Amino acid sequence: MGNSIWKDTWLITARSIKTTLRNPFSFIPNLMISAFFLLVYEGGLSGISQLPTFEGANYLAFILPVSIVSAAIGGAGGAGQGIVKDIENGFFSRLLLTPASRLAIVLGPIIAGMLQLFIQTLLIIGIGYLLGLEVATGFGGILFVLMIAIGWGLAFAGYSAGVALRTKNAQAAQAGTFIFFPLIFLSTTFVPYELIDAQWLKIAATINPTTYIFESMRTVLIDGWIFWDLMQGVIAIVIACTITITFAALSAKKAVARG
Amino acid sequence: MNGSIEVKNLSKTFKKGNVKAVRDVSFSVKEGEFFAFLGPNGAGKSTTVQILTTLINATGGEAAVAGHDVIREPEKVRRYIGVALQETGVDPDLTGRELIELQANIFGFSKDRAKERAVELLEIVQLTESAERRIGNYSGGMRRRLDLALTLVNEPKILFLDEPTTGLDPSNRMAIWKELQRLNEEKGTTIFLTTQYLEEADSLAHRISIINHGEIVATGTPKELKAQIGSDLVTLTFISDIDSGTAEDILKRQMGASEVIRQSEKLTVYVKDGAKQLLEIVRILDGEGIEIETVNLSSPTLDDIFLKITNDQEVETHGE
Repeated sequence: MGNSIWKDTWLITARSIKTTLRNPFSFIPNLMISAFFLLVYEGGLSGISQLPTFEGANYLAFILPVSIVSAAIGGAGGAGQGIVKDIENGFFSRLLLTPASRLAIVLGPIIAGMLQLFIQTLLIIGIGYLLGLEVATGFGGILFVLMIAIGWGLAFAGYSAGVALRTKNAQAAQAGTFIFFPLIFLSTTFVPYELIDAQWLKIAATINPTTYIFESMRTVLIDGWIFWDLMQGVIAIVIACTITITFAALSAKKAVARG
Repeated sequence: MNGSIEVKNLSKTFKKGNVKAVRDVSFSVKEGEFFAFLGPNGAGKSTTVQILTTLINATGGEAAVAGHDVIREPEKVRRYIGVALQETGVDPDLTGRELIELQANIFGFSKDRAKERAVELLEIVQLTESAERRIGNYSGGMRRRLDLALTLVNEPKILFLDEPTTGLDPSNRMAIWKELQRLNEEKGTTIFLTTQYLEEADSLAHRISIINHGEIVATGTPKELKAQIGSDLVTLTFISDIDSGTAEDILKRQMGASEVIRQSEKLTVYVKDGAKQLLEIVRILDGEGIEIETVNLSSPTLDDIFLKITNDQEVETHGE
């Protein structure tokens, strides 16, 4: 009797994927919103790329990171939602009563959330291509964008799983996802930093790590492989992941502990 | 490994509000025994189950389940036990069959064996027809039965059931009783059951511990517990609760505090020799001019024992 941690993780992840697929409304709205951003902002705002600050860049490539980050954050948020659902259903306790690895019990929904994120990001990039996206760095650039999306999603998954495990409450976890809005919109969402008018928004954009994610994605999409411009996104991810995954791990430890 | 439970001086104090949920509880359950923990809401039953099933740690004392220490070897304990908590633990998005198979896979069953086990268990809890439906569409009783099936997946040596029939209709309750008896008799599964229903403990358990305010106040077979409180019960009813109050005072003065319990206009008196003392009681009350409406002499039921024991505790607490 008994499995390896890999088998446990696989079993619990597979089940999380299954339940996600059976609840299409847990991911369709977010996917629609992300696609909506892309279509509407490209359709309505693309004229501003004529401004000299844009240096002739394609607005579609400029706005695509917003849509990708939105899809990534939404997908990663599925991790926390999955965990809260299990806790509320008592299924989390049921799993704790089995010999399954404690790590696998927490990791399963997170991996499923990451997978959801990956697929949503791919779909958004696909829509981008359908709309005529051109990428300065080609296929390699798309891989880089995917990596950044996954990294940033992982940071958000850590956050959402941490909130879920700490509060064990659906409302609180739902409320926790509202960080989505300031993260996405208090940034260089629609126009480059130089064009932001309000001083407060400039400050917010400077503090907001999403700004560095946008910038690094835009660099590969529009400008090319400019090392330090790309690194700012990577550094933002490393810092954010360190914080949120530590938070998630501590919350998980507390949730499976027998205090 | 064996199917026994050994508990010594177990205590649990929750930091939140400094609540002493379990106080210095000791008992042992032999392999193959059907043991019940009987007590009202908040008595400490669920906390004890959670400690014994490795969900929470005790703050004092020790416990061994299936021969393994629950604190030091939780992984080993988990292999040999099946647990149905007060709240069912099911994933509403899976079907009954999928959930049992998942549980079996987690316990290390091969794919084929897990499938077989699901078929067997669905049959046992009479859910074969609903096997392919999502659990979200199950009724409360069906969920309970599925939950029981999940606890049986690993053929546990010891089953822990925390109020398994609370909130169930009579037919679902009977179905669960029957299955528990079958497991205990045919498979020799040790069963630790908590309940608020005296009737349930009386008809299922070999031995019962009564728990109140986190302490075990009595332990024995249903028969022993009944014998423990004296052989007979005299129940008197009066026209008003003023009369019953006066009668209570008079009888208490004569027979000692713990032997008389009043519930509005009804008095229950515990006596050693029913026939003799019944006459004495009637004579005393008649002498005081109190009119008795009805008199009844009976052997004690578990309800009476429970009432008496919890009442004794109240008296002690108030006396402190």
